[in-house]
Amino acid sequence: MRWPLSLSLLVLLMAGCSALGAILSGSAWWLLLLIVAGVVFGAAAGFRRFGVPAPVVPVLSFGALVLALTLFFGGGTGLLWLIPTGDTLARFTSLVTAGLRSIQTQGTPAEVLDGILFLLAVGVGLLAILMDGLAIGLRLPALAGVPVLVPLLAPGFVVSEGADAAALISTAAAYLLVLRVEMHLRGLSANRQGGAAELGATGTSGAVRGAVIIAAIGIVGALVLSVVVPVRDGGAFGSRPNSALFSAGVSPMIDLGQDLRRPKAGPALHYRTTATEPPYLALLTLDDIKGTSWLPRPVEADPEKSVDAIADPPGLSAQVARTEAITSIGIDGVNTDLLPVPVPATSIAGLTGQWSWSNETRAISSSRSSTVGQRYTVTSLEIQPTREQLRESGGRYPAGIEPSLLVPEDTPAIIGETAAAVAQGTESNYDAAVAVQDYLRGNDFSYDTEAPVEDGYDGGSAEVIATFLEVKRGYCVHFSSAMALMARTLGIPSRVALGYLPGTRTSTVIGGLNRYDVTSDDLHAWPELYFVGVGWVPFEPTPGRGSVPDYAQPESSGTSGVPTGGAAPEIAPRPNDDPGLPSVTTDTAATVEEDLPATLWRIALVAIALLLLLLVPGVVRQLSRRRRRRHLASGRSGAPLAWQELADTAVDHGVPVFDTFTTRELAADIRARPGVRDTPEAQDALDRLLVATEQAHYARGSVAGPGQPGAAGTGLSADLDLVVEALRRGSTALERVRALLIPASLSTSVLRRMGLARTAPMGADTAANPHRAADA
Amino acid sequence: MNVFPGRLATDPRSAAATTVAGRRESATSLDEDGIDVTSEADVTLGEVQGAAQAIIRNVESVIDGKHSAVQIALTVLLAEGHLLIEDVPGVGKTMLAKALAKSVDCSVSRIQFTPDLLPSDVTGVSVYNQAERRFEFKPGAIFANIVIGDEINRASPKTQSALLECMEERQVTVDGHSYPLARPFTVVATQNPIEMEGTYALPEAQRDRFMARISMGYPDSASELAMLDSRDLTSPLSQIDAVVTGAQLRGMMTAARSVFASAAVKEYAVAVVRATRDDRDLRLGASPRATLQLIRAAKAQAALHGREYVLPDDVDSLAVAVLGHRLVPTTRALGHRSQDSALFIEETVRRILAATPVPTGSQGRL
Repeated sequence: MRWPLSLSLLVLLMAGCSALGAILSGSAWWLLLLIVAGVVFGAAAGFRRFGVPAPVVPVLSFGALVLALTLFFGGGTGLLWLIPTGDTLARFTSLVTAGLRSIQTQGTPAEVLDGILFLLAVGVGLLAILMDGLAIGLRLPALAGVPVLVPLLAPGFVVSEGADAAALISTAAAYLLVLRVEMHLRGLSANRQGGAAELGATGTSGAVRGAVIIAAIGIVGALVLSVVVPVRDGGAFGSRPNSALFSAGVSPMIDLGQDLRRPKAGPALHYRTTATEPPYLALLTLDDIKGTSWLPRPVEADPEKSVDAIADPPGLSAQVARTEAITSIGIDGVNTDLLPVPVPATSIAGLTGQWSWSNETRAISSSRSSTVGQRYTVTSLEIQPTREQLRESGGRYPAGIEPSLLVPEDTPAIIGETAAAVAQGTESNYDAAVAVQDYLRGNDFSYDTEAPVEDGYDGGSAEVIATFLEVKRGYCVHFSSAMALMARTLGIPSRVALGYLPGTRTSTVIGGLNRYDVTSDDLHAWPELYFVGVGWVPFEPTPGRGSVPDYAQPESSGTSGVPTGGAAPEIAPRPNDDPGLPSVTTDTAATVEEDLPATLWRIALVAIALLLLLLVPGVVRQLSRRRRRRHLASGRSGAPLAWQELADTAVDHGVPVFDTFTTRELAADIRARPGVRDTPEAQDALDRLLVATEQAHYARGSVAGPGQPGAAGTGLSADLDLVVEALRRGSTALERVRALLIPASLSTSVLRRMGLARTAPMGADTAANPHRAADA
Repeated sequence: MNVFPGRLATDPRSAAATTVAGRRESATSLDEDGIDVTSEADVTLGEVQGAAQAIIRNVESVIDGKHSAVQIALTVLLAEGHLLIEDVPGVGKTMLAKALAKSVDCSVSRIQFTPDLLPSDVTGVSVYNQAERRFEFKPGAIFANIVIGDEINRASPKTQSALLECMEERQVTVDGHSYPLARPFTVVATQNPIEMEGTYALPEAQRDRFMARISMGYPDSASELAMLDSRDLTSPLSQIDAVVTGAQLRGMMTAARSVFASAAVKEYAVAVVRATRDDRDLRLGASPRATLQLIRAAKAQAALHGREYVLPDDVDSLAVAVLGHRLVPTTRALGHRSQDSALFIEETVRRILAATPVPTGSQGRL
């Protein structure tokens, strides 16, 4: 009987899995993993119980795992929802593919989509089989800690902080629990073999108590932490270097898409600005189109280029009008090593940590610090080139710009053809660029964050852009990379900037400046084109998002169907909002109010669950009491049953009862209890019960003792009532409540059934309580 | 003096309160010369209890404050075992043996063991009868129902083994003739602790023949004071009368044998005895004979309480007395406590008892 060990292994594995909370969002996945692991451990223990040979148990457990997976993930394709069929396998395969892809593409904390969940379930199931085999099959429970390292260490590869301390501590506690239980079981078997008498009754129960306490601490701690610790969201696409799982290939575009599709936007940052128009906040620019995505040009982080002295933007000539704007930014939820700043920034103040800038990408980055909690002030330029300046720009591009003209060799023809068709008849690069922008903003294209993912053309690669130009559905990533690539085919250097839209103006005014709130839904990508004499100039080809700069407005109509960047800043509708609703008035308080009830709900749910959980032991005990009473009343059972009920009641009320008590010793203990001590009737009843029980157990002809049926039953019940009543009367209020809610007898009887508390050498059924301690 | 009109009581708790009515009634005196050695009275368990109470009262009127020692002594008597009383001189070992013997109306002999005591002094000897021209067997001191062997460890090993042989076989063989010993036949031997001067320690094999070993211990101050008063003028033994006849005692023994020991209790006894063999502190555990005698003694104790079945509690309460003298502790475990090895063994046995689960043999679980 190794049930307790299985149970402790389950606790250990799930404690380890809780460490994954650092990289996964939500908590529902944990419950599903709990069920899967529970199924595996339970199945293994069950098989073992039915005498399946040890080497076969893992095989059968794997079968159970497959059934469980079919039930949860098969989507009804399985026979009776359980037996996997060909369809199920196909479904699994697609789940695996989807899971692997979302692992590669998601930032942290990752949304647990079906694919990831499936992979997690498979992994945890296999770990469970492995742990079970190690700890119980091979009897090496110490090694069972090794598989748990997998979920425990995984977060360390992804986020720099690794698993959180709570998960580590609870896992360590669970590991101790496993060892403790194993030690205890070992002690029992040693005891059963004879000699080891030092494991006396008290030692045994002490071990159990210790283990139970450890487990309780772990469970309660986990529950409390899951409520208290806030869910981290609003994270930007983390382009952390050295990230192994998520953002591994630094495909910020796909991360960006993921973040945009997040069902619930979190606050990213807020700012106040002196600029005439709320600025786009850039994180980095990508100008290297390679493989499936655009990548930032590889630039060594140069500590020399501290943010204290940022060079002027390249290529900007003195003729171009500009105004200086000062923007104070506070980071709320962005957690990355790239600083969101209005472009082009000329100086930054108030940063903590070491930050450096790159002239090529204009990214402000840090190798050591993160944006978390930063408050800083950025001085940036608002560049206001005239159409003429842009139109007249010409001449040779500087050497550093050449790579931004590269078009991948295998670029589908449709891109160049479309660009050429759109740009036909334009006289300058600028006019061509505006034409392309207007083409993309036209009625043919629609903004859609879901379609590209569903149809499998997410990202910014040349093929994706070709698909996008045919389907004409996509979001900023597609629009911006399409425009950038089309511009390149037309001979205009281009790149894609990633960052945030200006966000939402709130009514909060500080120092005469409105506060703007930027959420993770404001993540955006836009193309920048290079014009000699002006430098990098941003465009806005995405319909319905952001605002088109003055210089990029179509000449003919300043107020065509296209949102304009007039006096009032144009606020981008959020993807999930009704596009018709102006969100300008949205107050920050609204988000808080939205969050608060959810948190309360979670706390309430956990509290209710805890309460129900607390009631379970009492109810179970009550049921068993009823059943025994019924049996007694019907005369089917005799004195031993009445005695066991009495003994259990005594245990509930705090009378210590050990395996080694004789009936008589227990009776003496009960008689010494306050309530019984001063009630002669109860003592007489106790004696009658005792004698009847002893006779049933030890007298001639009552070996298997259902006792004397019939009338004896009612007498027993009456005596039992007398003694129990006296016991209860003599107990303190606290003891009574404890007896009602946390009946200790339940744990001993559960433990006994699980093989923990049974120490008799005879095997089989050592009935309830007559156990003995030292006579002394 | 017949004590059997005593009230029947099977309730173990009320047993202690039972009074034996009419104990002091004058009764038929027995034959002076012909002690009845074979007849057996038909005795119920209730009567056993009453008689036992009477005997215990009788003995306790002589020995104050030694209830458990008296009870075990009587248990051994009922179980037809032999009793070893071990203690320092002067605490009433011999008094207990004599009082017990005197409470039963049967033949009693007393052997004072000395280094020069010969085996034939114990067993008897064949002497030549010149008148009848043949050898005639002169029975030794062992031919009695209750034999008090005083200071048994002062005798030479040869004499000791002669006695112990008789104890085991319940017969004496001299010159090719076997002479069966009477029933009941109980040896109550006393000995000083082996550390005392001028003693031959009983070897393990011979200690094994005794069903139980008890030690008297010093009386508490109240008992000692009471003793001073009661022994001032007369020997208290002279005030004791027999309360059961030999026939009745035999009936009681038979009744004790008929007590039922359930499988669960036997399992328990076996578990306890086996535990002594595996215990890390014991060099020598108890023998299978010990198991046998443990159950037999437990039956007798159950009978003593008028109970017709053995309880694990009987095994518990007798384990130290029945097993103690058979166990040999390891020197390592004993360590510096070699002076009180008996105490150490008692602790060890109690530890084993405390760690041995009690089977009930019944499935009362629901």
